[in-house]
Amino acid sequence: MASERQIAANRRNARRSTGARSSDGKGRASRNAYRYGLSSSATANVERTKRIERLARKIAGKATGAVILEYARAAAQAELDLAQIRRIKVALIERMFVFGEFQAPQAFKATSEDKRLLKALDRGGVILPNPADATMPAAEPERLAEAVRRALPELSKLDRYERRAAVVRERSVRSIIG
Amino acid sequence: MSKQHRTQLALLPASPLLITESLDQFDQVRDAFDQELRPRGIIEQMYVADIAYLTWEILRLRRCKAGIINSAFRAALEKLLQELLRKPSQPTAFVEVDAGILAQAWFSDPAAKERVLELLSEFQLDESVIEAEAVRGSGDDLEQLDRLLASLELRRNKASRYITDYRGGFARQVRESSDRLIEGKVLPLENVSGKSAAA
Repeated sequence: MASERQIAANRRNARRSTGARSSDGKGRASRNAYRYGLSSSATANVERTKRIERLARKIAGKATGAVILEYARAAAQAELDLAQIRRIKVALIERMFVFGEFQAPQAFKATSEDKRLLKALDRGGVILPNPADATMPAAEPERLAEAVRRALPELSKLDRYERRAAVVRERSVRSIIG
Repeated sequence: MSKQHRTQLALLPASPLLITESLDQFDQVRDAFDQELRPRGIIEQMYVADIAYLTWEILRLRRCKAGIINSAFRAALEKLLQELLRKPSQPTAFVEVDAGILAQAWFSDPAAKERVLELLSEFQLDESVIEAEAVRGSGDDLEQLDRLLASLELRRNKASRYITDYRGGFARQVRESSDRLIEGKVLPLENVSGKSAAA
């Protein structure tokens, strides 16, 4: 486990970082999309592959050429990717709406706080941590606005994936039409 | 809706909504686009469904933008009151307490609201300065939200431009329909959110 000095040094170094430099690092960064499962292979999920194939056949229409079918598959996959990204966006907002943060609710962040709790219990007084949910507005419209506000950094990242999927779909459809 | 149309729609992925949003109202938006634009074939249906969903997301984010400003209103008012109430000899802690009480009372007590407006007018200010401070205080969030909104609007416009290539004159109709929905001419803005509102 890293010491507090090591954690502080890591944070200082991270602030200076401008992204991956080595080819290994760039390779890892290029797989960031896997974090959300957005770039997982279609073959990884049989049901998804079947859906892509059904939609692709419909998009291709009467065309039976291998090239057209391939474009139609790309368009269908991009369409399902778009839907997946939208589901993730909705799930993130809802999670924030309920919990007020992305981290799983945790009683205490450090052992010292656990010890403090035990001592407080011993003295007959309990100091409970302030959960993130307690800082969320109770009423619905304000709570949703706050949930979206807190989820903005994640939503912005997902927006990039969404734009990319939309471009792939459009290019593929244009290629089909010729 | 024809049987073929229904079969094609079933092939397209479902549009995910928030637990607080009403499926009936989303269907209303989607049906309005369907009826007005009458998409033919799966490709047109795909794009019309996309435009309907993007329009829905634009409405969602616009509501949140207003919500973010409203949520920042109390803090903004408190901050302004601290400046307005401060007197040279008074300890800061007392001013902060007074400002907190008066800011809280603004929302429920007309007399407190009147007192705040008087204080503002003493400095040649009015209510708009509170909203300005709320917007200033949420600047980073609003900027990020605006970027997301711009991205959604751009994609909606691109989708409608694409349909222009596909079918002449369609895009203008799509954009106008989308704008009408956003302006609340087809569906009142305040009614778009929430099952609770619908219930």
